[in-house]
Amino acid sequence: MTADERELRELRSAVREFLEAKSPEEAVRKLMESEPRFDTAVWAQAADQLRLPGLAIPEEYGGDGFGLVELGVVLEETGRALLCAPLFSTVVLAAQALLASGDREACARHLPGIAAGRTTAALAVAEDSGSWDPALISARAQPDGDGGWRIGGGKCFVIDGTTADLLLVVARTVAGPSLFAVDRQAPGLAAEPMETLDATRAMARLTLDGVPAVLVGTEGAAGRVMARVLDIASVGLAAEQAGGARRCLEASAEYARTRYQFGRPIGSFQAVKHKCADMLVQVELAEASAREAARLAAEDSPEFPVAAAVAHACCSRAYVFAAAENIQVHGGIGFTWEHPAHLYFRRAKSSQLLFGGPAVYHERLLDRLGI
Amino acid sequence: MADNTQDFAAEARRFLDAHVAKAPDPAAFTWGEGDDSTAYFSSLPPEEDREHVQRAREWQRIRHENGFGWITGPPEYGGRGLTPVHDLVYDAVEAEYDVPDTGVLSVVGLGMIGPTILAHAQPHLKDRWLPAMYRGDAIACQLFSEPGAGSDLASVATRAVREGDEWVLDGQKVWTSVAQHSQIGIALTRTNTDAPKHRGITAFLVPMDAPGVEVRPLRQMTGGADFNEVFLTGVRIPDDHRLGEVDGGWTVALTTLMNERATVGSEGAGPVGAALSPDRLSALMRATWTWDDRALRARLAELLVDAMATGHLNARAGRTLRAGVAPGPERSVSKLMYAQNLTRAAHFVSDVLGPRLIADTGRWGTYAWTELLLATPALRILGGTEEIMKNILAERVLGLPKEPVSTAAKEVRP
Ligand SMILES: Cc1cc2nc3c(=O)[nH]c(=O)nc-3n(C[C@H](O)[C@H](O)[C@H](O)COP(=O)(O)OP(=O)(O)OC[C@H]3O[C@@H](n4cnc5c(N)ncnc54)[C@H](O)[C@@H]3O)c2cc1C
Repeated sequence: MTADERELRELRSAVREFLEAKSPEEAVRKLMESEPRFDTAVWAQAADQLRLPGLAIPEEYGGDGFGLVELGVVLEETGRALLCAPLFSTVVLAAQALLASGDREACARHLPGIAAGRTTAALAVAEDSGSWDPALISARAQPDGDGGWRIGGGKCFVIDGTTADLLLVVARTVAGPSLFAVDRQAPGLAAEPMETLDATRAMARLTLDGVPAVLVGTEGAAGRVMARVLDIASVGLAAEQAGGARRCLEASAEYARTRYQFGRPIGSFQAVKHKCADMLVQVELAEASAREAARLAAEDSPEFPVAAAVAHACCSRAYVFAAAENIQVHGGIGFTWEHPAHLYFRRAKSSQLLFGGPAVYHERLLDRLGI
Repeated sequence: MADNTQDFAAEARRFLDAHVAKAPDPAAFTWGEGDDSTAYFSSLPPEEDREHVQRAREWQRIRHENGFGWITGPPEYGGRGLTPVHDLVYDAVEAEYDVPDTGVLSVVGLGMIGPTILAHAQPHLKDRWLPAMYRGDAIACQLFSEPGAGSDLASVATRAVREGDEWVLDGQKVWTSVAQHSQIGIALTRTNTDAPKHRGITAFLVPMDAPGVEVRPLRQMTGGADFNEVFLTGVRIPDDHRLGEVDGGWTVALTTLMNERATVGSEGAGPVGAALSPDRLSALMRATWTWDDRALRARLAELLVDAMATGHLNARAGRTLRAGVAPGPERSVSKLMYAQNLTRAAHFVSDVLGPRLIADTGRWGTYAWTELLLATPALRILGGTEEIMKNILAERVLGLPKEPVSTAAKEVRP
């Protein structure tokens, strides 16, 4: 199903209105210093009123069956508002991993709860190095002799890993990297919060000591599954980044119009004016690349993997640039804890490096282009 | 609409199949084969240049005879009366074919001057010139810039003085592209020195063979002479060749400038294809053993990210147009990025080639990149400099305050 332009605008304004009410700056600041780092009541409302968790989950699994275009609109808005909620971990990472696994039984078991907003989920891939390359992981899974599996090892950077009800873990078997489902209550599983550069995105370190697990999809298939998930997740992240970058630009332009120095609005000084224009250029490119990639995904186009890599690189750079320049345009005020500029700077930097950073995504793009 | 454009695309394909060959498949690019030119400006000797212009005129005539010469134009002037979307559809189809380069006609004349004549000229001038231009018979140029009026275009000083039913023009224009091939030009002149500078300008359509019009080639840093100085000495122009109101020429100029940005920013063919082709650039890296240089690979990736994101931006502008919304001043992003993408590409290639860019070893696809390198400074200037584009973005899109006009500058101006 795809929404038309008018429906997308309506979706955007509904989500924006909701976030202005439920995720204003004070709320974000309070949540980023509490545990869990999200408001369960707001998450429930997002599910009940806006059906956000189920938006991009197929109807057969209890969702509304939309795709990355519609999800992208939501993520632009949540990225703009720095919403603290398990949306990215649950819907973009975990649900997409389940769908990409092709395991209908696992989907039928887990997705309806996710779509309804009752289950939150996390995807645990990276370890100490932060790499999302399944070939580089060392956590291991062994058959428990009863048709089940047991996982041993450690995971890091697991978004919402201390709160997720369901953990999808990539671990190595003799057949290669494979995807497993682990229940939050499983014996041998420990999760501790990590201190994070971006406090609005909670991350955990997991220790798995012979934790019982259920294989999702086929053994050894996690490499292929993760390639697909990373394409989708990086476009989802790109939408978040474009939304955050747009917010930084708006804040800068607003300040440049109203802050006076030397008897003039600072925006009439060309050095400031051109800084804002440079931000606008980056934001326009970021939005275009994120939205085009989402559109190509919805069309199941063979150009999607390249567009996903472009969106990831373009939006990462745009957001870091806009967030950094936003502080400069604000001068001293921009460097205070009280001003929101640093929240965006932290989110921008952390998002840029989340899936490995420039060196990784540059090679990913070249690889996609066959170079 | 969808069916309509599909039929239209099919019709365009039938036309092109009957007249030209398919362009070589870019995916089938082979190092060392085909044309290795990356020239944006022609550096051909005058004789060959004229042949090139002749080929352009000929192809435009064939296009026109088959209904693709002026897709959006009103039928009374030989246009097809279709929408800008049909224009985009045709461009996309034509890009698959190996057609003669018609830049000499289209970039300035059909892209900028045609729409200006259509919007502002009297009917007899439209009758006389529009069909001729779109048939490829007449080439048009933009007589705007002067030695003292570039970015500050409203400072034009070429005078036009009224004498009965005529105006007498005196002054100098500069950097006028394709003036050497043109039959007409649109000139901005000063008709009122008492009014604020924007309000004292009048626009005229100038036949380039009128007595007193003298075109002198200006050699460019690329070696060739695509642009010119144009001297206007006592040039008599009938009042009915005036475009718009007396002292109202700034409105006319804005029509041209708006179309200028759209035309320049959306250009896709020529050196862009070669300079930003992943296959071509990676083949160059292989041929120079820089294939696994990590720093160069990262730069190549960044270059392609920008080029592809700009492509996405242009594609979206096309889609917005399809939805019936005209693109706004944010299109200056495309003009800016067009120049920057090619500039970065040229400097990237120069780092890959190293000394091979200094002198011609005769090897295919190496020294040829000097052509692009030398064109890049102009791309950042023509159609509005980077600084001017950023002013437009900041003031018209972000609503930042205009540059204050300093009183000192007012006092100094003669
Ligand atoms: C290849 C080529 C083809 C051209 N073809 C044509 C043509 O066909 N017809 C025509 O009329 N013109 C043509 N031009 C002229 C072109 O439009 C002007 O060169 C351009 O608008 C800049 O003006 P200028 O050269 O006088 O530079 P200037 O305006 O003197 O600018 C010099 C520098 O000052 C900066 N600057 C100026 N004003 C400001 C400001 N307000 N804020 C910040 N920085 C500023 C500029 O950005 C630039 O870096 C052509 C130019 C080139 C290079």
